[in-house]
This record gives sequence, C-alpha cells and structure tokens, in this order.
Amino acid sequence: MVRLVFWTHVEPLDARLRRFSLTLASLALMATILSLLLRGAALTGDLAGMVDREMLGLLWTTSVGKAFTYRLAGVILIIVGLYLPIIGTWLSLSGGVIALWSFTQIGHIPDLDQTGIRMLLLLHLLGVSFWVGILAPLHWLARDPEYLEIAANLGDHFGVMASGIVAVLVLAGGFMAWLLLGSLSLVFTSAYGLALVGKVTLVAFLLVLAAANKLRFIPGMKAGKEQAANHLVRSIELEIIVITSVLIATATLTSVLSLPM
Amino acid sequence: MKIIITALISSIFASGASAHSNVDTTTPSNQAVLAEVPAQIDLDFAKKIRLTKVEVTHESDPTVPVGLDGQTRFERAFSLPLQNMGDGTYHIEWRGLGMDGHAMQGEFTFDVN
Repeated sequence: MVRLVFWTHVEPLDARLRRFSLTLASLALMATILSLLLRGAALTGDLAGMVDREMLGLLWTTSVGKAFTYRLAGVILIIVGLYLPIIGTWLSLSGGVIALWSFTQIGHIPDLDQTGIRMLLLLHLLGVSFWVGILAPLHWLARDPEYLEIAANLGDHFGVMASGIVAVLVLAGGFMAWLLLGSLSLVFTSAYGLALVGKVTLVAFLLVLAAANKLRFIPGMKAGKEQAANHLVRSIELEIIVITSVLIATATLTSVLSLPM
Repeated sequence: MKIIITALISSIFASGASAHSNVDTTTPSNQAVLAEVPAQIDLDFAKKIRLTKVEVTHESDPTVPVGLDGQTRFERAFSLPLQNMGDGTYHIEWRGLGMDGHAMQGEFTFDVN
C-alpha cells in the first residue's frame, strides 16, 4: 500500500523496503504455521498436539482452517509479489488484503454472522496496516539528513490522509466493540471490557503521538530543522512499542477472553 | 526490534495456549461431596464443542486419561465413564474445541467419602 500510494517518496528506499517486507512476510509465514500448531497443542495440553494429525485435522474443519488457508495464501502472494516487477506490487497488495481477510474468519466478529461487519473489520485492518506500514520508511528517511525534505513531505502527506484513517479506525472499532459488548456497563464489569479499555487507552496515547508528529515535528522538518527529525524518529520508535502493545491487547481480546454473557 | 519480536512471539503463544471456558454444568458439580464413586461424569456446555482430552487425577495416583473414542462429533452434552479409584478427591480436567475454532478448557473437583 505504502509503495503504491507514496512511490515518489519511498523510491530511494525501494531495495530496503523489499528486504524489510520480505523479512516481515517470512515472519508472518512462520507465525501462521506456528499459530496453527499451537492451537493443536492447546487441544491436547502438550506439545504432542502440535503434530497430532487428529487435532490438526479437527482444527481444519472449523473457521481456524479457513483463516489459516486465507492467511497462508495471502502471505505467499505477498512474498511472490516482492520478486516480480510491475505487477508484483499489486500481487503483494492482493496478498495483503487476503491475509487481512483471514482475521475476519476467527475471533468474535464471525459470531455476528454478518458480511457487512466482516467488511468493516477488514476496513479497520486496512487502516491499521497503512498506518503501521508508513512507520518504517518514515523512520528511515527521517534518520538520514539527506532525505530530510522527502521525509517531511511524506510525513505531511500521510498526516493529511491519517486524519481520515484515524476517523475510520475509531468509528469502525467503536462500532464493532458496541456490537460485541452491547452494553456500556459491561465495559467496566467484565475482563473483556477492561481489556478493551486498556486497548482504547493505548490507542488514545498513539493519537497523542500522531498529533505531536503532525503538528510539531513534521512542520519543524519542513522548516529544515534536523532536531525535529530526531524527535520524529524517537516518536515513531515509541509508536512501534505502543502499537505492539495494542496488537497484544487485541490478540488477548480476540483469542483469550470470552465475550461477557 | 528485539522488544517487538519478543512481544509478538509472546502474543502468538498467548493466543495459542489460551482458552475460553463456558461449561454450563458438570455432574458431579464442582466441590461436590459424594458417598459413592459415580459411574460416569457429565459435562454440559452452553454451545456445541468437540472434546479433545479429559483426564482424571485421584489423590496422588498418576493421572488417567478418559477414553474419548466414541466422541467424534460436536455436542453440547457429554457422558463419560469414570474409573473407580476409591474414596478421595477426584480432579477432572477437560479440553475441547468450540465450533468457532476457539480452544476451550476447564476443570472441576469432587470428593468421595
């Protein structure tokens, strides 16, 4: 997505971006396989479940198998696309969308059994991916004084788009949470609700960081201040840590905690 | 980067090893005190699940698996034979898979005097 939308900005980073994408896609491939095997282990309570054909076959018959298929196919398409010229970027993008679609097959959203809600979750995930995807190239550009102007322009353009993305993320996330919980009282009286509060708090902190980037550091970089670029680099590093925490909170919400009855 | 990788791996393991537990009732019920060892244990769930493992631990005896050979479908209610190991505390641990793909687990204990 980032390569397609911001090609003129990230062109100097093309080779590095491909290597980075390949590393992350390879990690995703391993995580996808490991995740299925660990689910097998969860069914038997020991490591033998990871290679138990009956348990893995059983998982295959549920939405876990469907999600695994989508995710594996998507990640493989991403990797193949990284090796192909011209059409490769579109192939990788398709793979990314398919991999994200896999997340609409498991968790609590499928229980609602509505295609529209799955599409909303996909939109939410696309927004998150775009946001996360910009961080590494922006970080690399901001660290190099040679690319200060390009980094400032990239940050500026993304900042304009981010306003819309954040609105979609918050509205879609809030609507899905309301559908799943159904009652405001459950937010503070259930483990699921409290974990959700934790996630929202982290997201609020992210928005503060994003606002600082947009309103202080990017304008400073546009004025040619290298110090502002250093602040942006630190801010992005903090963002990565907070986003990782949000992902852990989300994994807990979707896989560990039951919805309150 | 190390922090990120560690956190990601932690989240993967958290989701893989975790479980939902929504068993409705068990017979005997948790913490029940019985005069005789029941011939079977019953588990009733709010939604259909497929049991994948049930184990019985009696006092300090080695843990004994309960045979699930006949359990090949997603069901809401299960009746499983219980081996008579004499008086004492029986601890039952179960694992299963919900139709939505969620791993589930739970446990209950009863005493026979």
